[in-house]
Amino acid sequence: MTQNINLTLKVWRQNGQQDKGRFETYEVSDISTDMSFLEMLDVLNETLTLEGKEPIAFDSDCREGICGQCGSVVNGRPHGQEKKTTLCQLHMRHFKNGDTIAIEPFRARAFKVLKDLMVDRGALDKVIQSGGFISVNAGGAPDANAIPVSGEIAERAMDAAQCIGCGACVAACPNASAMLFVSANVSHLALLPQGKLEAAKRALAMVRTMDACGFGNCSNERECEAECPKGISIINIARLNREFFKAGFFSHNE
Amino acid sequence: MNWLINTLGSSVGKKLMMSITGFVFILFLIGHLIGNLTIYVGPDAFNAYAGHLQSLKPALRLMESGLIFFAIVHIFTGLILFYQNFKARPNRYEVNKQAGGRTLGSATMPYTGLIILAFVIFHLFDFTFVDKTGRTVYDIVAASFSNPVYVFLYIASVFIVGIHVSHGFWSAFQTIGINHPKYMPTIQTAGLLFSLIVAIGFGFIPLFISLIS
Amino acid sequence: MQLDGNIPSGPIQDKWDKHCFDLKLVNPANKRKYDIIVVGTGLAGGSAAATLAELGYNVKNFCIQDSPRRAHSIAAQGGINAAKNYQNDGDSIWRLFYDTVKGGDFRAREANVYRLAQISNNIIDQCVAQGVPFAREYGGQLANRSFGGAQVSRTFYARGQTGQQLLLGAYRSLCRQIGAGKVEMFPRRELLDVVLVQDQARGIVTRNLVTGEIEKYAADAVVLATGGYGNVFFLSTNAMNSNVTAAFRAYRKGAFFANPCFTQIHPTCIPVHGTYQSKLTLMSESLRNDGRVWVPKTPGDKRNPSEIPESDRDYYLERKYPSFGNLVPRDVASRNAKEQCDMGKGVGETGLAVYLDFADAIRRDGRDVIERKYGNLFEMYEKITGDNPYETPMMIYPAVHYTMGGLWVDYNLMTTVPGLFALGEANFSDHGANRLGASALMQGLADGYFIIPYTIGGYLAGNSLDKVSTDHPAFRESESKVKEMTDTLLSINGKRTVDDFHKELGHIMWEYCGMARNNEGLEKARGMIQELREEFWKNVRVPGLEKDVNQSLERAGRVADFLEFSELMIIDALNRQESCGGHFNEAYQTDENEARRDDENYSYVAAWESKGVGEEPVLHKEDLEFENVKLTQRSYK
Repeated sequence: MTQNINLTLKVWRQNGQQDKGRFETYEVSDISTDMSFLEMLDVLNETLTLEGKEPIAFDSDCREGICGQCGSVVNGRPHGQEKKTTLCQLHMRHFKNGDTIAIEPFRARAFKVLKDLMVDRGALDKVIQSGGFISVNAGGAPDANAIPVSGEIAERAMDAAQCIGCGACVAACPNASAMLFVSANVSHLALLPQGKLEAAKRALAMVRTMDACGFGNCSNERECEAECPKGISIINIARLNREFFKAGFFSHNE
Repeated sequence: MNWLINTLGSSVGKKLMMSITGFVFILFLIGHLIGNLTIYVGPDAFNAYAGHLQSLKPALRLMESGLIFFAIVHIFTGLILFYQNFKARPNRYEVNKQAGGRTLGSATMPYTGLIILAFVIFHLFDFTFVDKTGRTVYDIVAASFSNPVYVFLYIASVFIVGIHVSHGFWSAFQTIGINHPKYMPTIQTAGLLFSLIVAIGFGFIPLFISLIS
Repeated sequence: MQLDGNIPSGPIQDKWDKHCFDLKLVNPANKRKYDIIVVGTGLAGGSAAATLAELGYNVKNFCIQDSPRRAHSIAAQGGINAAKNYQNDGDSIWRLFYDTVKGGDFRAREANVYRLAQISNNIIDQCVAQGVPFAREYGGQLANRSFGGAQVSRTFYARGQTGQQLLLGAYRSLCRQIGAGKVEMFPRRELLDVVLVQDQARGIVTRNLVTGEIEKYAADAVVLATGGYGNVFFLSTNAMNSNVTAAFRAYRKGAFFANPCFTQIHPTCIPVHGTYQSKLTLMSESLRNDGRVWVPKTPGDKRNPSEIPESDRDYYLERKYPSFGNLVPRDVASRNAKEQCDMGKGVGETGLAVYLDFADAIRRDGRDVIERKYGNLFEMYEKITGDNPYETPMMIYPAVHYTMGGLWVDYNLMTTVPGLFALGEANFSDHGANRLGASALMQGLADGYFIIPYTIGGYLAGNSLDKVSTDHPAFRESESKVKEMTDTLLSINGKRTVDDFHKELGHIMWEYCGMARNNEGLEKARGMIQELREEFWKNVRVPGLEKDVNQSLERAGRVADFLEFSELMIIDALNRQESCGGHFNEAYQTDENEARRDDENYSYVAAWESKGVGEEPVLHKEDLEFENVKLTQRSYK
């Protein structure tokens, strides 16, 4: 089952934000098909280091698909071609000997390339900071079972709350829109009784910040949903739209 | 009024305008198609229908102005969205591949939209803003469709309308927040059926007329 | 120096309340005059930064990742314990307290653990209020499950992503404070030194991981919530960026390091499968609720698992521990897996794995039920191994997962450096020699939401602190020391990569300071580490520039610290001539191969004081008194 394969990698190299960037081609050999994609890049980086070249900068942390720090566009697909998979969980058994693989950073005006495959996704944090929370200080909470939440609602909130904030939705969207990300956060909190109190304010503030960060507009292309490593549905986008209109037309918030 | 500008001016608000105006055009297409069906009954029925429309003058003017207003909103907002979306990714990908979300309709919305705009202008100049003295509406239509180039142009254009609507129909529902696993599949099927009906329903008319004349 | 845990007097159930009353308060209007640095944004750091800002302090919060939402707490799967007794199955604060002390093999402070059990209930309330979507019953009440080492169902969970949901809860609270301007967030920063002025912690020096700039920040107190040091083993379930640097550099600055040899080896991880592997993946312990652990009865049986009949299988945990069965604590489960593999009964290509079989559970409850409980874990397993656990048993093997050791702290969570606090996994914590499942999340959040907000106020109100700016000579000295180290690392230009050294260190540690240890091996490992460290400083190759993104340089600094720190672990393991929890010295075991403690001589916390590079550290002992729990030989039979 385990095989060793040889690959040609076309990797985007870019030395900081000012640099225009270009593809560089590397040959890697004897790659075990049990390796993860990032382990394959590790192997390449070890070789580059020993050859006196600069290794490829890329982000990763947990390497088990939950932290959301990794992510590049592999052959035109954020996190690679496998469904519901982050780049760190993409294994080389999905590639064939002799394949050529193009690796690019996530591209969007709101995500600046810091170096090579590393991008700044701080805009996603900014959106949350503008309202993606429930305003409750530590210490004043009532007993946990005092707020009943039906099992079904809790499940749907959890479906949305699974978002790992990796930015693949933005990378995949033809318009570089962050609607799936924003809608997952808005939906999670709007579904729960605890979050309903601030729902109007939250929806307005988060959409406004999203717009200000330079993301594109949603045009219901559904690429985000298809690429989301956690399988978050665009039903959440419909819910965000509802929340936003409710807030915009019927609440007292501006 | 600040709140209205803030709400409609946001990305989601602009989409709302696209959606509402889109719904209006869907209704218009339905009405237009039903009216046009009279052409299959015969020239007299078609002329009678056109005459009947003309007799409703004030209402017709109101509807026409409404359509123009919605068209301006739809086109203007669409262009802004197109421009903003283009700007949102200054550096394009070198390798582009789709994950299966995009459809022919969704990928071409701005382009099909612009083609439809050109077609509508052409269509108005061809049939509406023409000298109608001594000719019935049917005569004008028949004259146009005696030219095979016109026949082709009309058929191609209404197919493009069909493509535009194939995405626009369900997308309009999604944008105003109507999406539920219980009925979204029905909306999507209805959208595809509707776009087919539009394309075939309108597309067959030029063919029909050029064949019988 | 005499170690004083500052444990309040009085009956154990009143200690915390009494202490809160005794602590001095900072007047609400004065809180905004204080600056607090919090390093780390995990459950402990994130919750601390948010809560301190809610109280009115000015907080500067630092994290190594690109966003505070990525801290490794996010990877915790199973759940969080609380003594709510919602299931009416006989749970109580006392029982959670007792289970935790016993689970830790009687090497934790009673008073701390009791406080943890008390606070556990507030944590659940707080998290629900924040919108953490815990699993619910259909009627809307919170659901619970039982978890390794407990006989009651007290674990709250959100599918297999409890850590993620709790962390995002803390992250949202943190974001609220960032948005409100009360927390200034510094992502992509690595702490390189703690700065002391007049023996008090007054700031930190960091490297900006994007620009490479060395930056200085001053404050009135410094809180470290920088996680554990499991990556000293190279392969562990920790994230790639997890490291010991912050804690270790604090140790060099005078904070004692307690019980470094207490490391937890988690029994249910995906086995190692190649030399290129960068990390190990944990499969939640909750799997042991329904999965049955077994190996073939005959050593060397290489048949396909489906071809091995029941009569040829040994469900060794159920056989040896009839009352706990597959749910024995982690250290016991791990050691037994190793024992079976040492006997040649291990399965898989390497022979270093045992089966975790769901066939019976699927037959009993149906595939749907199992999928609802563990779907995401099964999916993850299949992604990594290519095997489908619905059809063939999972293969699992223990892996380094958590470190109970950490910076020594008193009851106020303050280290031996005044003004320097340590929270969460970074402190030597409340878990003694072994941590029970679903207790790490509890401890991290207890420290951050409910302990540090009180105790830091006591420190600030009780000390007069002059304003200190980053122009102070102590900052400049730290800065130049840090720069010197960076320059050295970049200038060696040797022949081996940083990872190469790290892997070798990992092998040494796993072999000699892993699941089972002996004095001879530990001595040998110490020599090997010293040699490796010497070679590192002569032969490491760190490419790239200082003032740029330079991930090799980041790793080099961390590995340099691991090379020093690993020796401290060995010294501590050699010092502790007993077996307890995660520290199993082969010379000290019962007739049934269980860990044999020596309460007479080793019932203490071993806190190590650094005497500088190349000098032997000095041992300080904090004796552990057990007034409420009777010391027993742990038995899970």
